[in-house]
Amino acid sequence: MFTLLRDLRRLRRDIGLIRPDRGRSLAIRHVDAGSCNGCDHELTLTSSPAYDLQHLGLGIVASPRHADVLLVTGAITTRMQGPLLTAYAAMPQPRLVAALGDCALGIGLLGDPTEVVGPLDAVLGVDLRIPGCPPTPDTIAAALLTLIDNPPAVIPQR
Amino acid sequence: MSIEITETLGPDDLTSLSPTADAAERYRRRVRESLETGWRFAGLHVSPGAGSVRTLLASPFGATHLAGVALAAGCVPSIVDLAPAANWDEREAHDLFGIGFTGHLPLRPLADHDDRVDPIDGAAWTVPVTGTDAYQVAVGPIHAGVIESGHFRFHLVGDRILHLDARLFYKHRGLELAAVGAQLEQGTGYAARACAACAVTNSVAYAHAAEQALGLVPTAELARVRTVLLELERLWNHLNDIAAVCAGVGLAAGNNRFAAFTDRARRVNAAVGGHRFGFGTVRVGGSDLGLGRGQVAAVRADLGELRQEVTTSWRELLFNASFAERLPGVGTLSADQARQLGTVGPAARAAGLAQDVRSISPRLAYTGFEPVVPERALGDVQARFEQRALELWQTFDLLDALLDRPLVPAAGEPGGSARQIGVGRVESPRGATSCVVERDGSRIARMRLRTGSYANWPSVAAAAPGNLLPDFPLINKSFELCYSCADR
Repeated sequence: MFTLLRDLRRLRRDIGLIRPDRGRSLAIRHVDAGSCNGCDHELTLTSSPAYDLQHLGLGIVASPRHADVLLVTGAITTRMQGPLLTAYAAMPQPRLVAALGDCALGIGLLGDPTEVVGPLDAVLGVDLRIPGCPPTPDTIAAALLTLIDNPPAVIPQR
Repeated sequence: MSIEITETLGPDDLTSLSPTADAAERYRRRVRESLETGWRFAGLHVSPGAGSVRTLLASPFGATHLAGVALAAGCVPSIVDLAPAANWDEREAHDLFGIGFTGHLPLRPLADHDDRVDPIDGAAWTVPVTGTDAYQVAVGPIHAGVIESGHFRFHLVGDRILHLDARLFYKHRGLELAAVGAQLEQGTGYAARACAACAVTNSVAYAHAAEQALGLVPTAELARVRTVLLELERLWNHLNDIAAVCAGVGLAAGNNRFAAFTDRARRVNAAVGGHRFGFGTVRVGGSDLGLGRGQVAAVRADLGELRQEVTTSWRELLFNASFAERLPGVGTLSADQARQLGTVGPAARAAGLAQDVRSISPRLAYTGFEPVVPERALGDVQARFEQRALELWQTFDLLDALLDRPLVPAAGEPGGSARQIGVGRVESPRGATSCVVERDGSRIARMRLRTGSYANWPSVAAAAPGNLLPDFPLINKSFELCYSCADR
């Protein structure tokens, strides 16, 4: 255990993440609405030592009730449209919606029209777009940080 | 031991399929006789035009055979009594193509989420559990972490799990239906997008199937390039799966350490194939990948360094008593259960079944490969955890041997006769993955991808009863199956 912790401390030092004192935070709820799991795998790594989003004020929370941002991966399948909208309805206001990855943005979407509703903006207004197939963890981290550093001037009340 | 590796596609009654009672009996007899002589069920798909159903059977030595049967009054005989592994395949064919399976009772909905109870046999998707103090816990489709979408229905008394039904297909995108009509070359795109974690495996399985149908075999160099890509995919997946088990018991240090290794392994993937998940690295009939002497040497050195660090951290996990004691006796899948359910991959090997498609892959560069099983092959979380490490050392060895010279663009060459159907079988990080492609000239008439995850989901459900509900995340992570390549 000592070795593991020592290695992690060295790893963090070598990576040298800058931790600006933002004094602000955002809570994120992730919903996989029909992804290939690529965006989800890269999102998972944003919590790993090389990116460490928690230290930058961005945390993934367990319930939409606790979330500021709904972060959606994948094409919206017909079977996930309902649960996605239920999660959105459970969020307190003000709230933001982010599309993570090309499928959620409708870029190069594959699937049968009877099974896929479409990209995220077919069902919800989108405040932040993070393109990539999948975007790398640092791209995801940088994009999410813009929500803290440059929040939308007027956070839409929906 | 020397075994002859065969690769034949048996003569299917493609042209002579007629809906007679005799044909139905012949189909069941062929399946039964194959299973009795050590062959295994490897998938079932609906032919183009939905006039017949074909069952893929695989011998322990690499041969494959398709047994077909024509629909009579919308039905074919079920084989689920002979091969319980066909359970999901038949339910999927029923829900997506409307085919009846005579003798499969109750034929529970799988992909169909409409919650209509079938008027004929009245089967709901989950079993009713009754009795004193029995209750249900419904989890998902949305989970509390960054986890794929799927629903679990637990039947419990107190914290003790009596029964688990997994309801997947929330992520069903109809990829195989969407691929119909596309050029054969485009199929790898659909196969890769079924699942990022198994993108290389799925693409290679598809490419093998398409190449077999086109009468092509890979050259030794093409086989080597693909094997490198497959092992690099296994590398990051197994590191990820070790991190997942640490997360499953709340060991943050282990989870973080192995998550950092996972990231590093994905960077190696990007350095070799240009993409962290290998998207676009596999194409039908050849490979464009080139990696010069210096680049190959750098990758090899990086992998050597990674191996040393992983070895040290792995030992640290083993010596952490409070962690190690959380793993034994949890989520046990016995060898008998694994055999019965058709479990594949690390989960089967952890239960003591020494089977691995890599040892019977003439189209890949696995000469002399032998499956490894843990000393303590009890089929529990600990065995599955240890299995990942055993396979990691194999993967590091394979990569070191394969990366001894530059990678150069390579092609397939004529071999075997062109035919209407091709089959590819590849070992993914989760187990045997089969792909069947039926073609209409140069276009896809049907593709079906049966991944290791698809094969193993029923095993997760079988490993849960008797355990405590709070241990389920750990059990689930010890299998670490993909939802996306089951749902497609």
